Amino acid sequence: MAEEIKKQRPAPDPNSAKYKLNMIAKKAYDDAFAAKERGELVGWCSSNFPVEIPETLGLYVCYPENQAAGIAARGGGERMCSIAEGQGYSNDICAYARVSLAYASGAPAEEQPMPLPDYVLCCNNICNCMIKWYENLSRELHIPMIMIDIPFNPDYDVPDAEVTYIKNQFLDAIKQLEEITGKKWSWDRYREVMEISGRTSRAWLEATATAKYVPSPFNGFDLLNHMAVMVTARGKLEAAEAMETLLREYKENHEKGVSTYRGEEKHRIMFEGIACWPWLRVTAHGLRDRGINMVTTIYADAFGFIYKDFDDMCRVYAKVPNAINLEYARDKRIKLCNDNHVEGLLVHTNRSCKLWSGFMYEMSRQIGEECDIPVVSFDGDQADPRNFSEAQYDTRVQGLTEIMQSRKEAQNAG
Amino acid sequence: MLDEILKKFEEAACHPELLKERYLSEGKQIVLVAPVYTPEEIVHSMGLVPMGAWGGDLQLQESKRYFPAFICSIVQSIVELGMKGAYEGVSALIVPSLCDSLKVLGENWKYAVPSIPFIPMTYPQNRKPEYALDYTLHGYERVISDLQKATGKVFSEKLLRVSLQIYNEHNELMRETVKELAAHPEISAQKRSWIFKSATFLRKEEHSALLRQFLEELRKQEAGKRKLRIVTTGILADAPSLLKILDENGLQIVADDIAAESRQYKTDCEIGNDGLVSLAKKYAARDNCSVLYDPYKRRVEALVETAKAVEADGVLMVLTKFCDPEEFDYPLIRNACNAAGLPIVEVEVDRQMENYEQAATIIESFKEMMESK
Repeated sequence: MAEEIKKQRPAPDPNSAKYKLNMIAKKAYDDAFAAKERGELVGWCSSNFPVEIPETLGLYVCYPENQAAGIAARGGGERMCSIAEGQGYSNDICAYARVSLAYASGAPAEEQPMPLPDYVLCCNNICNCMIKWYENLSRELHIPMIMIDIPFNPDYDVPDAEVTYIKNQFLDAIKQLEEITGKKWSWDRYREVMEISGRTSRAWLEATATAKYVPSPFNGFDLLNHMAVMVTARGKLEAAEAMETLLREYKENHEKGVSTYRGEEKHRIMFEGIACWPWLRVTAHGLRDRGINMVTTIYADAFGFIYKDFDDMCRVYAKVPNAINLEYARDKRIKLCNDNHVEGLLVHTNRSCKLWSGFMYEMSRQIGEECDIPVVSFDGDQADPRNFSEAQYDTRVQGLTEIMQSRKEAQNAG
Repeated sequence: MLDEILKKFEEAACHPELLKERYLSEGKQIVLVAPVYTPEEIVHSMGLVPMGAWGGDLQLQESKRYFPAFICSIVQSIVELGMKGAYEGVSALIVPSLCDSLKVLGENWKYAVPSIPFIPMTYPQNRKPEYALDYTLHGYERVISDLQKATGKVFSEKLLRVSLQIYNEHNELMRETVKELAAHPEISAQKRSWIFKSATFLRKEEHSALLRQFLEELRKQEAGKRKLRIVTTGILADAPSLLKILDENGLQIVADDIAAESRQYKTDCEIGNDGLVSLAKKYAARDNCSVLYDPYKRRVEALVETAKAVEADGVLMVLTKFCDPEEFDYPLIRNACNAAGLPIVEVEVDRQMENYEQAATIIESFKEMMESK
């Protein structure tokens, strides 16, 4: 009988960015559990809610979207979605929401547990679906909901009236949270958090921008893991330090001519959409096996929150990817494609995300034309594994590879 | 006489294209108003004709170039109609930002139907605080400015106040009509639907005139035999095949919480010195709707209370496929109805739906549930 040989993974280097970033993400859950244990209030927070508010107030918050992604990536997506469907939720509803509502109703999720909330912090700059999801959490758990409405901006620039509306809501949210938690807002502490958030963001933007080098010093799938810290912890000092470590590593990789992307980087693409978490390995391998590196994604741009003061922060939160019109969203992506020498665009038509996918056909056509790159899409889902076909993904990625290859050959010949 | 008036509702409801031609031939300019709560009073006050754009029951072809399949068919069919030239001659389309599919509609419309300008109406969801009024006003100012550009018409505060009054009167007549219809089981669900649907296409003063005549005649008529009384809830419930099933099963709609129907007419405008501020306050006062932020989900209890108040035998949820806002509310509504001992069923509908066999089966069971209570 053949003896099974398991590859020994080397122990992670505690000084590496990967280790530090993983620890920050893990610590956030641990801290929230510990806080709950001590009797402190814990909140659930939507991903683009201004982290500066809970961070300044010293609150313990967890992020249901990150939890749902973690559960889905570890194989629990279908189980949790089915539980929510059993409660009457349509399988057309965002799978993150289904996972989260199932968890809130008491369904266990060993893949990524987190404490139940005492209040919820909702911001709809990512989608209006978020409002519905958090309303249901608030009602079912009998807990208060704090809502910051950042409307979808149909124009290229953010109007002053919108900034004023957002600012007033921020101030209201702070007041509500002071009342709920008994903690006090400090403008000095806010300025510190703002500085740290800026430091973290600058390091992230610079690190992701090293994809301009050919070959890229990193595998773009790294960004999907690291962005969790950008979402949840960018106001924390340890996050700034970890991102600066990441930047240093990427710079060193470039200098040494190495990369976290294993193998020869034959083609460089931009990946559009939320990761297909239940099929992360399959989607990553489908690219790697063909020598494709996903060098950039809108996340590279999306989580760089750099602003100079409170008003400017309000404006920045109105410019996150799902809150902006087609033209602004398109131009951001065109810049990423051009800066990072992208040769093809792979679009995840994500059944969970109506807003992200809803005008993607037209936007990706325009990006393809402007950048003169092929565009291919596949159907999938951020957390429900049933909405993905491995065969379709494989065929589409193969098609994209062949177009990129033939263009390269024509260029070399010409 | 009653039949003649109903015929007029039917003509307007079923042939908006003829109405469009009529208005255009009279030299009027038409502005399409997409759902929900589009400030059509502003359009009306500028001497323009606001016509509802809720899409249509048709197969989607051209619009598939713009939308993935999982976007609601109301939105997709608006673009389909636009691409096929059904809206030729209209001056603009106004789309509010109240759900994700509506946000997407505007972005795609710009490229799919470039001949008809898209005018966004961005509403605040946190609409109750005083500061939200300013933001609503900013949205109205944008609409006015775009309308002026698209049509050459000028906005006047004075005329807006006149329009607000016309809309208030129409609201009241619609509410009266709903109440009166509840006392007349002989008026079918299909006929009831024509009254609502025609209201989205006809100018409000014309519709009000018809409603007055209708009410006068209906009040003279002896009420028909009692039927099973139901309350409908959802976004849209105007599919003739669905209404036919309700009528065949002897179900009478005695009240509704449908976005395209009564939700439009339940909030009046308190007209003050400043018409735009008054209109903004009307928006802020709106409640109990799936596309409006509702922190305590009062819609759920409001629906149960309505059903009890009208002595309904059951609640029918008409769920527009891929409508997130309604899909999130459904389990809560179902649980609340169950707790109140109100039979409830859900029927999923779609603008492209041709086969209603499943809907018929569900409604037959619903009827049995109500009869056995």
